[in-house]
Amino acid sequence: MTTESPSINLTSHDDVVRVEDLKVSFYTQLGVVRALNGVSFNIPRGRVLGIVGESGCGKSITGLSIMQLVVAAGRTEGGRILFREDAGQEPPVNILDYGKNSPEMRKIRGNNISMIFQEPMSSLNPCYTVGNQIEEAILLHQTNDKTEAHKRAVEVLTKVGMPNPSRIAASYPHELSGGMRQRAMIAMALSCNPTLLIADEPTTALDVTTEAQILDLMRGLQSEIGTSIMFITHNMGVVAQMCDEVAVMYMGRVVERATVDDIFYEPRHPYTISLLQSIPRLGRTKGRLASIEGSVPDPYSTTPGCSFHPRCPVAIKGLCDTIIPEETIVDAAKGHTVRCHLNS
Amino acid sequence: MTTDDMLLEVRGLKKHFPIRTGLMRRVTGMVKAVDGINFHIRKGETLGLVGESGCGKSTAGRAILRLHEPTAGEVIFNDPVLGKIDVTQADRETMMKLRPNMQIIFQDPFTSLNPRLTVGQIVGEPLEIQHRAKGTELSDRVAELLKEVGIRPENMTRYPHAFSGGQRQRIGIARALALNPSLIICDEPVSALDVSIQAQVLNLLDELQEKYGMAYLFVGHDLSVIEHISDRVAVMYVGYIVEMAKTDKLYFSPKHPYTEALLNAIPKADPRLRTRPERLQGDVPSPANPPSGCYFHPRCRYAKDICSVERPPLTDIGDEHFVACHFARELSLTGVQPLSDIKLEMPPARTV
Repeated sequence: MTTESPSINLTSHDDVVRVEDLKVSFYTQLGVVRALNGVSFNIPRGRVLGIVGESGCGKSITGLSIMQLVVAAGRTEGGRILFREDAGQEPPVNILDYGKNSPEMRKIRGNNISMIFQEPMSSLNPCYTVGNQIEEAILLHQTNDKTEAHKRAVEVLTKVGMPNPSRIAASYPHELSGGMRQRAMIAMALSCNPTLLIADEPTTALDVTTEAQILDLMRGLQSEIGTSIMFITHNMGVVAQMCDEVAVMYMGRVVERATVDDIFYEPRHPYTISLLQSIPRLGRTKGRLASIEGSVPDPYSTTPGCSFHPRCPVAIKGLCDTIIPEETIVDAAKGHTVRCHLNS
Repeated sequence: MTTDDMLLEVRGLKKHFPIRTGLMRRVTGMVKAVDGINFHIRKGETLGLVGESGCGKSTAGRAILRLHEPTAGEVIFNDPVLGKIDVTQADRETMMKLRPNMQIIFQDPFTSLNPRLTVGQIVGEPLEIQHRAKGTELSDRVAELLKEVGIRPENMTRYPHAFSGGQRQRIGIARALALNPSLIICDEPVSALDVSIQAQVLNLLDELQEKYGMAYLFVGHDLSVIEHISDRVAVMYVGYIVEMAKTDKLYFSPKHPYTEALLNAIPKADPRLRTRPERLQGDVPSPANPPSGCYFHPRCRYAKDICSVERPPLTDIGDEHFVACHFARELSLTGVQPLSDIKLEMPPARTV
C-alpha cells in the first residue's frame, strides 16, 4: 500500500485534478527509468498551477500521464489521478481506471482536458489546414454539423487574437509564423471549452516579444473563461508572471509546493533556493552567479535518500543520504509543503 | 580614443544569401541576413550581440570568422603578431595564421563535437593543425585544458556521448581555448543548457576571461544572460544594429523603441511585479522583404511619417551610445525597473 500524502487534506476547496502518489517507470533496453517516484499535487478550480523543474525531472511526463498519452514503454505503477469535471459532480473519476483507448478516456481527452505542446510546428499536421484541425476536435466532441463546426473554429481563432481569422482557418501551418502557430494550437485546445488546459512549455520555442504576446493572451483567456491551467515550464520568469500556485519538481518528485509568492519570497527547499539564486536577473549587479554543483544524475541510476542530496550544500550526513524525506507542512493555510529533512 | 587597445573593428559588414527559384535556379531575391553593421571590440572586453531569431546575430558572428564569406564590408582584426589585418581580404595562408587568435564556441553542444573522436582528440586537434604540440606534450596540454574547464583529465579517452550537455559545452570551450585566442565568438553557448548548468558555464567564461584576458563577442537572445556577461551590448533587428551602448546605459536608459520593447517583454522573475506594459504587436519582418525606411517602423508606437521613408543611420549620441532612430534624442523611454529585494538564504546546515 502506498502511504497517502498528508497535504491532501490541506485544501478542502474544489480541485479540478488531484494527483496522488503517481509513479511512472520506463522499461528500456538500457534499464529502468523511474520517471515519476510518487508525485502528488492538486490544481484548484480556476487557478494556474506552475510545474517547474530542469529537463528530465518528470514535468512533461506528469502532464502526459493526465492525458494518458505516455508512450507504451512507460508504465503507470501506482497512484491516482482524480479528475472532477464540475464542482457539483460526485465523486471525482480516477483517470487511471480508464484504458488509454477506452471511450471514456477519448471523451475526456481533447474535450474536458486539452493540451498545448512546446513545438507548434511538429504538433500541427502539415497536410491539413488550421481550420480543419480545429474542426476535427469540435466534430469529435461537440457537434456533427460541419458548417457549425467551421463557424466555431473561426470564432475560437478570433478569440485568440488572430487577424483575419477566416483566412487563417484556410491556411496551412507552414504559412504561419511561430507565434501564429502557437495561437492556432491554443485555439485548438480551447475549441471545446476544456475544464483543464495543460500547457507544456508553450513559449519555450518563441522569441521574447512573441512569448510576451502569448503569455498575455493566455492570461487574458484564463480570466475570461476561467479554465484551470497546468503550466509546465523551466523559466522562473514565466512562473512569476503566469502562475497562482507552484510545484517544484526534481528527479520525479514534487519537492516543494506553495503559492507563487511564497516560492519566490519564502522558499524552503534548498533546490528551490538554488534554482532562484542561479538565474541572472535583469537589473542586478554583476558578479558570480550562484550555481548548483554537479548535474542532474543519470536517469537510470537511483539515488538513495533525498534525490537532491548529492548537490545540496546543506545536506545532513547520515540522514539525507539514507532516508527519503516525507512531505511536511510549512504553512497549512496557504498550502505550503516541502520535502526536506531540514524543514521537518 | 586610442586605437591601440582595439582588437576588432567591423565596418559595413554585409552578408546576403541569394534566393534561387525555378528550374534554372535563377536568383530571384536576396535574404539580407546582415545588412551593413559597424561595431568594435577592445582587448579583453565582452560585447553582447542580442536580438530575436532571424535578426542575423549568428550570421554576423560567423561572417567575422569567414565561416560565411561576407558579401561586403571590412573586418579589421588586430593580430598580436601580424598587426591589423582585414580578415575579409586575407588569403588562405594568412587566414591559417589568423585563425588561432579567433575562435568560436557553438550553440548546440550535441552537434558541434565529432562523435567519432575522443575528447582528447577533439581538444587536441587545433594544436595538431597549428603544429603547436605533439606526443606527450600534446596530451599534457590537453589534460591541462580539460582541467581548466572542469573536466577530469582521465576522461580524455572517452567519447562525447558519455557527457552531459553542460560537460560537452565545457569541452567545446576547452577546444576554443587551446590556442590561446585573443577573441572568442560565443554563439549562444548557454541557450541549450538548463538554468543551473547555464550559471556554471557563465561563471566559467567569466573566470577564463579574468585569467587569460581574451575578448568575447557573446551572441545571444536572452537579455538577462547578455546583461550578466557583457561590458557593452549591441541590439540587432533584421540585419541591422539599432542600438549599442554600455550595458547599464542600454538596460536602464534605452534610446531605441525596439530595445525598450525587448526589455519590457521579458517575464520578470518576481510575482509582485506583474505588469502588463504595452506589447509589441506583429512579427519580425522577413529579411528577404523588409519594410521601407526604418525596418522597425510598422511595429513602433512612436513612428512618424519620416520613419517609413528614411532609414536612420547608427549615430553616436554621446559617451559611445549609438542609436539608429530619428527621434533618439527626443523620446523618453523606460528601461529595466529595479526588482524588489528578495533575500535568498540557505537554511543553516545541521548534523544528525
